[in-house]
Amino acid sequence: MDIGSLVSEVIPTMVIAWILVILFIFSIKNIIKFFRIVYRLIEPLITPDKKLISEKEEFSFERFLINWSLSFNSKWLSAPNNIRLAMQSAWRGRERGLAIFSGVFLASLVMTTVLAYAVGLNQGFFQFSLENDVFDAKIDFQEDPEGLWEGRTNDSEVWESFCDDLIDRPEFSDCGLVFGRQGIRVSGFFDPDFANPQPLNVESVNSTTSDWTNVSWEYQEASENGPPINDQRTIRFYGDGIWDGELGERHSKSIIFGEWPSSASDAQANRSIVLPSKIASAAGVEINDKIDNLTFSYVIEVYEVVDALQASEECNTILDPNFEVERLFCKDTMTVTNLTVAAIYEEGDFGNPTLLFHPLMVTDSVLSDEQKLILMQSDHGYLGVSVDRNQLPTSSTRAATGWLTDLGRDLESEKGEVTTFDPNTGNETGTEEDWIPRYHEVANGSGIVLISVEYVDLISGTINFLNIFLGIIQVFDYILVIPIVSLSFVVLLYGLVLSLEQRRREVAIHRVIGGTEETLSRMMIIEVFAISSVAWGLGFILASVAVDVVLRAVGFLRFTDEGDFNVDPILSILSTFIVALLTIAIAYWRGSVTTGKFLSMEIDEGVRKVRAQREPYYLLHWMTFGLGLFAFIESWIQSNGGFFIWGNSGIVTNFIFNAILLLLGPFFLWIGGALVLSRIGAAGPQILNRLFGWSPAISDIRRGLSGSGSSKSVSQLSLILLLTLSIVTLAAVQGHTGTMVDERTTNAQNGADLMVQFDTSLTEQEARNQIMQSIVSIDDNDITEISSMTSVAQTITKTKAEGTMLITWVLFDGHEDTLIWDSQAIPGDDINEISETWRLGGYTAGSDARNSLDDPSIGKSLTLQYTTYEINQFGLPVETGVSETTVNYAGRHQWVPGISSIESDSVIVIGENTYRELVGNQTVDSHTSTTWMFELCDESESGCSNALETLSADLKSNTGVVSASDWSTAHEQNERNGGLIFGTPGLLSMMFVVAALASISSAFVFLSLVLSQRKRELAILQAIGASPNQVIRLVLFEIMSILLMSMILGVTLGLAVSESFNGFFSIFGFIFQLFLGQSVPIDRNLVWPWLEIILVNGLVLVAVIISLLFTTRRALDSDLATVLKGE
Amino acid sequence: MDKEILRANSLYHIYESNAEDGNVVALRGLSMTMLEGEAVAVVGPSGSGKSTLLKCLGGLMKPSAGSVELAGTRMTRLTGKKLVKLRQEAVSFIFQDANLLPHLNAIDNVAQPLIHQGILARTARPKAQALLDTLGMGERSYGMPDQLSGGEQQRVAIARALITEPKLILADEPTGALDPITSREVLELFRKLHKESEMAFLLVTHNREVASFCERSLELREGRFIAQHGTDVDIGDLSESRELIIDDSGTVTLPPDVLLNLGGPGRFEMSDLKRDMLHLDRVDEDKVIISSENGKMVLSSSCPACKYDYGDSDEQLCPNCGSSRPMVNE
Repeated sequence: MDIGSLVSEVIPTMVIAWILVILFIFSIKNIIKFFRIVYRLIEPLITPDKKLISEKEEFSFERFLINWSLSFNSKWLSAPNNIRLAMQSAWRGRERGLAIFSGVFLASLVMTTVLAYAVGLNQGFFQFSLENDVFDAKIDFQEDPEGLWEGRTNDSEVWESFCDDLIDRPEFSDCGLVFGRQGIRVSGFFDPDFANPQPLNVESVNSTTSDWTNVSWEYQEASENGPPINDQRTIRFYGDGIWDGELGERHSKSIIFGEWPSSASDAQANRSIVLPSKIASAAGVEINDKIDNLTFSYVIEVYEVVDALQASEECNTILDPNFEVERLFCKDTMTVTNLTVAAIYEEGDFGNPTLLFHPLMVTDSVLSDEQKLILMQSDHGYLGVSVDRNQLPTSSTRAATGWLTDLGRDLESEKGEVTTFDPNTGNETGTEEDWIPRYHEVANGSGIVLISVEYVDLISGTINFLNIFLGIIQVFDYILVIPIVSLSFVVLLYGLVLSLEQRRREVAIHRVIGGTEETLSRMMIIEVFAISSVAWGLGFILASVAVDVVLRAVGFLRFTDEGDFNVDPILSILSTFIVALLTIAIAYWRGSVTTGKFLSMEIDEGVRKVRAQREPYYLLHWMTFGLGLFAFIESWIQSNGGFFIWGNSGIVTNFIFNAILLLLGPFFLWIGGALVLSRIGAAGPQILNRLFGWSPAISDIRRGLSGSGSSKSVSQLSLILLLTLSIVTLAAVQGHTGTMVDERTTNAQNGADLMVQFDTSLTEQEARNQIMQSIVSIDDNDITEISSMTSVAQTITKTKAEGTMLITWVLFDGHEDTLIWDSQAIPGDDINEISETWRLGGYTAGSDARNSLDDPSIGKSLTLQYTTYEINQFGLPVETGVSETTVNYAGRHQWVPGISSIESDSVIVIGENTYRELVGNQTVDSHTSTTWMFELCDESESGCSNALETLSADLKSNTGVVSASDWSTAHEQNERNGGLIFGTPGLLSMMFVVAALASISSAFVFLSLVLSQRKRELAILQAIGASPNQVIRLVLFEIMSILLMSMILGVTLGLAVSESFNGFFSIFGFIFQLFLGQSVPIDRNLVWPWLEIILVNGLVLVAVIISLLFTTRRALDSDLATVLKGE
Repeated sequence: MDKEILRANSLYHIYESNAEDGNVVALRGLSMTMLEGEAVAVVGPSGSGKSTLLKCLGGLMKPSAGSVELAGTRMTRLTGKKLVKLRQEAVSFIFQDANLLPHLNAIDNVAQPLIHQGILARTARPKAQALLDTLGMGERSYGMPDQLSGGEQQRVAIARALITEPKLILADEPTGALDPITSREVLELFRKLHKESEMAFLLVTHNREVASFCERSLELREGRFIAQHGTDVDIGDLSESRELIIDDSGTVTLPPDVLLNLGGPGRFEMSDLKRDMLHLDRVDEDKVIISSENGKMVLSSSCPACKYDYGDSDEQLCPNCGSSRPMVNE
């Protein structure tokens, strides 16, 4: 986020939201007050036996006035003074204010980040999904050419000049004339008439420099990826507006060879044509090649299939039937000549089908005026526009759709007087205001032409799809951040209680000097409100800035700076208000409740020697913990595939209950565990005392320790540490696991640096030559040769004993140099070891294959047979020979890199030597395959990954190459899918950083508060003869033992929670895999990032030691007498 | 006869406690009255219930039983705002520690009670400044509490107590935390205020110097008044018209005020026994002597440490050895 939008958009929104929160609090308070009054009025009716305690005072106007002026004085006229004092005491008492501040700040930071993250995600997705559509809208004439010629023009120049009017509107960024698909005047893809408007289709191309005879103009994919409008390659003629500006930029993004013409005059001068890569590759054209002539067809007339007879009579040219949509198109052709290939673009994914896909693009200056006129007459001319996507509201998809609808309606129509008629008599009854078509005035040399347009929006279709998908993602993300949000609330509430606890004495003083409950609570609440407002604001701004970083996460604590998408997540007023409400208002509400409690008890109970203390709900804590543990065990049993008497469906077999348990279990485990374990953590001093009491280091202070750790604030310190450190652990573990999963998914999917599929089986040498050719042609220093290459041979063998047919994959020697293996894929975890086993005649089996072999044990031998066949004269296979060999079972494999893991389930994998024994050396040496994998460079280096991307792009446009996928692109894709869609790396990184900061800062803040409460205790200890050394040791030992216990318990809890969260991740992972069609289910094997965990715990430790030494020193340095004297 | 400012009728107060002996009874049926403009000291050992009594009398705490009347209003049934209002108008407190609000400077501390009453800061602050000036604190009025010395803090606290112009000041060990010289200054201030403005003082103390400033002192022990000392105490006044009933079993029950005037419970000798006449003599060693007969105390004429003779000077510190000058009975 840049400073500009921060100042111009975020801050004003914040101010409004802040004012709204104040109004909200005021109105809620007044509503409550109102209900109280009402209740008091009807109270005698409800409880008639209860007499009103307060005797009625005689009402007098004078008294009323005095009361009113007093309350007005104390409420409003003194407000400036009160606020000044509140600010002052907030600042002077900042140590205790810090507690409130940190809570609100955290809560605000986390919530804003999450909400802004969702917005950014929305925007990012928008950009990704709109990437394939260069045009945001297609503007047609509103009127059919068949009807009255109202609001239409046949003059392409006039039509083109309407673009100037459009660009003047702030919503549109660029506009240009296009000759292409006819005017669309229906709404939605599902209207049967949607297929009526036809594009321009290429019919033939002739060139003397390249061979176009074999180029097919069939384009079946076009009708498969959308409504069956047209299944031929299309062509568009672009007017002046398209080549430069925003539209030019969008077009040039996908150019792989040559340059997108920089301006209309450039395109005109060169008579430019831009080709899709498939076509260019099929024709073998190069940049600057000439095309002598190009013939394309346009539509004159459309007939329904039932009118076929009439059509064949009327249509003297080409009659092109489309039976899928039951239409007949009468077409004619046109030819343009003398074109130059300016650029070749990569055919990307299929986006919005409205304008059809991947056309040839030619400058319209090659069309004669006459041709242009014909095309205009047959409705082929439209305006392609780009809207300023920055203006598109991205806070919600509904807002975006609404904005687009408004934009379209404003272009198409305006409010106007419409005459109304009586439906019965048909007489005029008057006029009313309604939408009527808008007529735009466009200058036409001499005069003015009136034009009415139809706005065909191309963005909202994309949005509708996003809606569903983003919904799921957001639910996932929101659930994911529940721990950190609840943590920040715990910090907030704990901070509030601690800080108000500190003010107990102050409140007592105020009461003694005549403070009423009202003024006092107002005073304290203003302070809470002031602190929390500032904290909220800072948290909000920081989050708004930081969310950019979070969005750029491609792995755990790994961020990309590549600007492949540019988002500016700005929260709407509503979201801002909600964040403010959830932070400021909660602080306000909790503050006033706690203050109220203090105020009501200070006089009567505050002086009691024994304060009535509410017993915590221990049973509830244990039950929560128990439930969490149960869910943990359940998820463990399931992932373990059964345990003891339970099968792999676990203890709870009901699907719904099971899902609920797996979803909620981690949270129960986390909260319950923290509550239960924090008591053990708080008892740390006693426990360590038992263990180390003998040691001289603490033997002299044992007595002092025996009663420690029981105080509430200490156990809450332990609770906070447990909560934060378990989140730190959870985030680190799951974050690393996710990153690893992305990488391993790539390894498994792509198998090697580069995987190329050819359309025919090639030998190693042939494949090598093909790739080398490309390597030479891309001329990149990072890839100069093929380090190694391999392929996986597939054959069928039979077991000698049972005669079971087995699909058998063969790994050639040296495969491990090329294939990127994963330890999950193989038995054991050493790939060299298992490779050696394969080489020496071992075999591995997938789980299905293993079952069909009756679950062999490791080392069990198996005799395989291989039968050679020959096709006899009747075309039937005849057995010609059987060879056999013996292999030993070496374990179960999961997958082979680069090949779908589902297939690998039912196959066995053998080594090259075994294969040679079965099929003979000759077959092996002349092995051919359609799929080859290559090791080219170190894929983790950026130079290498760029080179890989270029190489695969080059290969893709080669004939004979079906597909070429490189590791780098696949990895990026996985990171983006695993990363951006899941949102996990960013959010987990945020959780990690925030929780780490929270644990360090809360250790610091709360510890110093706890210790300053204990100042007196320390002074007493000194007074009764403890040396400063002993006091320091006592405090150090006590706090450190609590801390160490909490740390150990916190990390343990975090590990357990992340294990337990795995079930939750798997559920969502499954949903996303459905959406994305990923077929390789990589186990979320947890990675334990000890380094990060130790680092954070170490930092907490350092922070605590520093704050301990600091506060203890201060306590020791302060005058004993003063400390002891004060009550 | 002067108007009563304070009247307490058989106050009981019990603190809940988890100790083995059960709850603690702090006040056991205490009754007392105070007239306007009177200065009364409550003396007694630690734990005798002095502070509890003060809190009950000032309406900071509700006694478990019994009633308190402050400036003619019974406080027992008052709650919330009305109670606060009564306190605002009638009474101010001074404590052992100055108990200043730590985050406000001196002048804001002094002005705070008025602000609580709904008076605007622009009215309250000049008044506070004037009061601080009178108390010799005018120059320190922007100091924060932790920058002020103990005596200065106490003076700020006194200013804060005075600013509402109360009829009664309840002070709990007002000089307890001060050194003798500063406490003498504070007492001097009290004396001046007492004379000039006719404020009533109720001081809780175990300092004889402080007690001697009051017209009478009540001795409190185990939640009961056991004796009253002072210049204007007239025992005859209280018990002349009373009747005592002695039943068949020979038990005599004395009403509390009679017992009070008798000097509290203790051992008595019946030295002279005639028909219709009972003469009680307290056994001497059980008598508690709080102050001398007329309670008047003056600065000692010579230093107890080095026997330096102060002569007529009013010095508080011995110029010879530096020890502080004690007060002795006249």
